[in-house]
Amino acid sequence: MELTSRNTVRLLLLPGLAVLLFAFLYPVAATLAAPPDGDPATVARETGALLTDPNLLPVIARTIRVSVLTTLICLVLGFPTAYLISRAPARWSGKLLALAIFPLMLNTVVRTYGWIVVLGGNGVLSTASQALGLGPVQLLYTETAIVLGLVQLFLPLMILSSYSSLSQQDPRLEDAARGLGAGPSRVFRQVVFPLALPGALVGCTLVFAGAVTAFTTPQLLGGSRERILSTLLYSRVNVSLDWPAASAVALVMTVLVLVVAALSGRLSKRGSTTS
Amino acid sequence: MILRRPLLSLLSAIAFVIMLGPVVILLGVAFTAGSTLTFPPEGLSLRWFAAALEYRPFIDSLGTSLVVAVLSTAAALALGIPATLALQRGAVPGKAFIENLFMTPIIVPELVLGLALFQQLMVGFNITALGTLVIGHTVLLLPYTVRVVGASLALADPRLEEAARGLGAGPVRTFFSVTVPVMRPGIISATILAFITSLNNVPLSLLLTGPGVATLPVEMLNYVQSSFDPVVAAVSVVLLALSVAVALLTERLVGFNKVFGR
Amino acid sequence: MTPVVQLDGVGHRFGSAANGVAAVSDLDLAVRRGTFTTLLGPSGCGKTTTLRMIAGFIRPTSGRILLEGTDATDTPPERRNIGMVFQSYALFPHMTLTDNVGFGLRARRRPAAEVRKRAGEALELVGLSHAADRKPGELSGGQQQRVALARAVAIEPSVLLLDEPLSNLDARLRVQMRQELLRVQRETGLTAILVTHDQDEALQLSDTMVILNGGRLEQQGDPRTVFPAPANRFVAQFLGYDNFPEVPGFGPVTIRPEHVRLTAAVTGEEAATDSVELAGTVADVTYQGSHCLIGVDTAGGRLNCVHPGDDFRPGEAVRILLPRHRLVELADAHTPAGAR
Repeated sequence: MELTSRNTVRLLLLPGLAVLLFAFLYPVAATLAAPPDGDPATVARETGALLTDPNLLPVIARTIRVSVLTTLICLVLGFPTAYLISRAPARWSGKLLALAIFPLMLNTVVRTYGWIVVLGGNGVLSTASQALGLGPVQLLYTETAIVLGLVQLFLPLMILSSYSSLSQQDPRLEDAARGLGAGPSRVFRQVVFPLALPGALVGCTLVFAGAVTAFTTPQLLGGSRERILSTLLYSRVNVSLDWPAASAVALVMTVLVLVVAALSGRLSKRGSTTS
Repeated sequence: MILRRPLLSLLSAIAFVIMLGPVVILLGVAFTAGSTLTFPPEGLSLRWFAAALEYRPFIDSLGTSLVVAVLSTAAALALGIPATLALQRGAVPGKAFIENLFMTPIIVPELVLGLALFQQLMVGFNITALGTLVIGHTVLLLPYTVRVVGASLALADPRLEEAARGLGAGPVRTFFSVTVPVMRPGIISATILAFITSLNNVPLSLLLTGPGVATLPVEMLNYVQSSFDPVVAAVSVVLLALSVAVALLTERLVGFNKVFGR
Repeated sequence: MTPVVQLDGVGHRFGSAANGVAAVSDLDLAVRRGTFTTLLGPSGCGKTTTLRMIAGFIRPTSGRILLEGTDATDTPPERRNIGMVFQSYALFPHMTLTDNVGFGLRARRRPAAEVRKRAGEALELVGLSHAADRKPGELSGGQQQRVALARAVAIEPSVLLLDEPLSNLDARLRVQMRQELLRVQRETGLTAILVTHDQDEALQLSDTMVILNGGRLEQQGDPRTVFPAPANRFVAQFLGYDNFPEVPGFGPVTIRPEHVRLTAAVTGEEAATDSVELAGTVADVTYQGSHCLIGVDTAGGRLNCVHPGDDFRPGEAVRILLPRHRLVELADAHTPAGAR
């Protein structure tokens, strides 16, 4: 009786697995290996071209550079924010956290659009700089703009991941460290940060993977001048209609994300066994 | 706190300005009487809201977005809840592997998934754009429903169900009187989270378009790339207002931070 | 001699000045060098708030705190030279025991060799030298508490602050750790202030016990003075007195159950002049082997007594003798706290 009911319960997995197979695993594998008008050899050739073409290598480099910068800035801004939220009085911390999470409810066009107003040739920044006699600044369609937009996009993820680690810390640890004579910065460097490292690491992984794959923000703020992998993929599909080349970009992007995810998994595993 | 931690407070102030500043600026732009993207606004008017209402593609795509969000959320729940039940209560061999399998759609870049579905399902199997959108969003949302409902189920003591059985309730009665109530907060959270995620998606929906079929965010993106008037700012403000309403509703139902803070 | 710690009219209100809650009100206290002081009281009495004010984690909203004779009210905790032991141990989970114990010395920028040597000595003091390279997670609760103690002692603090350090341990270990605590305090000659809600702990450890209630001082002094003579009903109850009879000719009094004598009502024995006599009826008898606990109803309320024999049964009329020198007169049996 117990056995049969267990087996019936297991059957409940099947519909989900079937959809996963038909609408996810099969199409992704097929596209990465051989798009409709190509075969594995063409994709391999295109990937080789992508990794050696002097015109395309900068795109890969830019993607990595932009993602690393975004991750670092998110860490530097997001971790302290999460720390302050986690240590604020209860009636404040919930509200501040909600405020930090709220942007996640808006689509990326809404979130990114404001930057065009800020960074454009007639934008807020440029107007301000001209008023100060510094001349116009055009940050729109630069790497800086992409990084700013991505930082805005992914700060909530960094704050959330760090917060989940920080809020579990015994606040008495900080008291203990201060009581032993450590000033605020030593407490932060030697107690708070090392203990919240797993959460910060998760945040870094999420931000990096998000930055590598983000499309809307680099498309709007980088345009066709500052391409990264995702915008390159889109133009391969929609402009040059070159499917094997698109598959090659998709492959590089996917591998990049998987490598980083695996690396961070490794790191956090090592961290958890040594501490 | 602010006085004791000047550097950290400064960094976190910068973080909040970067996160919310551009959104706040949109508010100003949307109500401008002028016809360019400038801040502060040149006089106040509602003309861009009127213009947004008159632009057919926005209204049509809003319909598409809602249909896709409702159908894919329902499908992801219908597939995800049984799957998570099986995983949490079925003593499935290779549980960790299958759980990870259900999470993989999150790891693969959405643009890549979109490309794959476009090539293999839309072109390969001749499925309509709308159908492919619903299928794609269902796959995208499945990890959320499995994980969120699973979390509420994993927290609950399985002995509750054993206790109910021990008290003489049959498996069906036990399911509806014990298991379902235990899952309810998780189901509500998963529904809200999935619906919002679907409604906001761009990269997956981007390539899954057809004649007259595109989701609202994709239509907004296309508009922004071709014209520089504040219509999209007006649309954004409407979406912002709706999001605030949903956030308040969520706070009352299950707690805003609980749903979106995961 | 200057007190190591001195509180002058210290108070703390949570919330706004207008409608906040007073956790501690107008507290005066002087702690002499080398002594063991306990702050004793029920939860919410302000004892932990007081300790955290001494440590500097909470700023008093009124009054002054002097450490070693100098005003330290506005000094942050890291510059007070205090050694604090927490109820949750608060050991740094990512550091070895040596690094935990040496943390305070490193914060003081002492040379590495000295840090290692003194951390080693402190670990030896608590008998954990063999585990120096382990991490706190690998230790039992009692061992973690010893490390916390070693860590606080290693910096040679001017005062050792102990916030209910034993309450997370099981009963047997708790008694053992009390001895340990006392030994370490005596060996190091440190001044110690312990917060506890456990009267036995306070009686055993203190040179001075300070009893708090509702943020106010109820009574302080040497346990041998305080215990036999609680100042008021609150202190008496907290120390385990439960007889508060109305005795003709007396104000509010209390008496310990073992000092109440019972005799049969029929014996014509003369009432001794050194005792007060009451009449009562046995309400219940609880057999305890060597003695019985007997509850007696009198006109002046219920009296509990420890009786050496097992010769009374419920319903029997009895004579109750209360030795005059055992009756403790209380200041304020029924006046509410705050009216004092």
